[in-house]
Amino acid sequence: MTLNLCVLTPNRIVWDSEVKEIILSTNSGQIGVLPNHAPIATALDIGILRIRLLKDQWFTMALMGGFARVGNNEITILVNDAERGSDIDPQEAQQTLEIAEANLSRAEGKRQTIEANLALRRARTRVEVINSIL
Amino acid sequence: MYFLQILTLAVSVTLHTSTPPHLQRFRRMQSAQQRCLRPWRLVVSNVVSNFSVCSSRDLGRLPHHEQIFRELDPKGARFISTQVVRNRMKSVKNIQKITKAMKMVAASKLRAVQQRTENSRGLWQPFTALLGDNPSTDVKKNVIVTISSDKGLCGGINSTSVKMSKALYKLNAGPEKEVKYVVLGEKAKAQFVRDSKKAIEISITELQKYPLNYTQVSVLADDILKNVEYDALRIVFNKFQSVVQFIPTVATILSPEVVEREAEAGGKLGDLDSYEIEGGETKGEILQNLAEFQFSCTMFNGVLENACSELGARMSAMDSSSRNAGDMLDRLTLTYNRTRQASITTELIEIISGASALTG
Repeated sequence: MTLNLCVLTPNRIVWDSEVKEIILSTNSGQIGVLPNHAPIATALDIGILRIRLLKDQWFTMALMGGFARVGNNEITILVNDAERGSDIDPQEAQQTLEIAEANLSRAEGKRQTIEANLALRRARTRVEVINSIL
Repeated sequence: MYFLQILTLAVSVTLHTSTPPHLQRFRRMQSAQQRCLRPWRLVVSNVVSNFSVCSSRDLGRLPHHEQIFRELDPKGARFISTQVVRNRMKSVKNIQKITKAMKMVAASKLRAVQQRTENSRGLWQPFTALLGDNPSTDVKKNVIVTISSDKGLCGGINSTSVKMSKALYKLNAGPEKEVKYVVLGEKAKAQFVRDSKKAIEISITELQKYPLNYTQVSVLADDILKNVEYDALRIVFNKFQSVVQFIPTVATILSPEVVEREAEAGGKLGDLDSYEIEGGETKGEILQNLAEFQFSCTMFNGVLENACSELGARMSAMDSSSRNAGDMLDRLTLTYNRTRQASITTELIEIISGASALTG
């Protein structure tokens, strides 16, 4: 029994094939989805998506917030942006993280702080993805 | 003798000043055309209107070269200069070149946008799979979002969008119900301002100044959601079926309260209850986020599809106008040759009759 996973972003389809298990990070924690899971519809936070492929390898992706729907063995994930672990450059991710941290300390006003926070979380997710692969 | 002179003077004066009313407009157009041949828009309207007005009058019964004579020289003298015809040919050729170039520009832009549109189609399908598409739900507050283009010369797609929006307005009007417009794009705004100015809530133009991307559209969607109260949002756009086929479509998005109400009624939305909603504090909050996300995704897809349709419609409009310009050029060439031959013949006759008068 396998799950049919579809990860969509506004610009392209990032993933569309069969997997054995996934681990999503939602707003209220991480959930693991195995075949024959009950149907759920959940909001996703900026975090990591772990996929277990058919050959028992783990694959990581950074997701930037969205929604996930689990139907009868069909998972559809709609996110604002998604990046595969293999596509992220470690140096660049680290630099982005540092820039985001610097921006946060410099941010003034509520709106800028919120934006800086979001940017920081996004950068941190990407770095985590890199680290989890290595 | 004096009397004869005054008579000829009077006759010549009347010949110059009295033009029949239906030819006066032609004379004005002709002088306007000769004054400003360079702005091609003006020439297009002149060239097109010249021939169309010509055919609607009784001049339509005359053969074509007679028509040109009559309108280019309304006093009725038969011999026009080849210069006039040549000027007209030059302007028509320029128009043809411009429309061909516009067609190619639209074709190249279309290729790029088409790819992105097809990628974005996958965005709204999960929402429809989850929530269903319910255009016929009866709600109190409707908001019609009309997507149109900023630039013209793209065929009839903007008019069809506006017509559909107006039909939706009439359908949803009634006691205790209110319908508002949100207009994207100059062309629809111009048409709506004319008769439904009060019903326009927000109007947004210059969407395509920078290449379309999801962030920009989601900011726009956020703006609309914040400023407009709605029970149902209906997005009207032209769906890009193929390069020659554009279908006006309506995408309906219901607000979370209405979704709850309809879920009790059963149907596709009733299945929503079988899903366990997670990932937040309350179910209502999640549904709210879901509705907003659905709106921005559907709008992103709508804007892209409309851009594709606009480019495709522009391609076919420019193609048909280059073909028309080519036809006009052929007819003008024939007229030019006939004029030239007529003037040569006249000269020959004059010379020969002059020579024969001399020799006896």
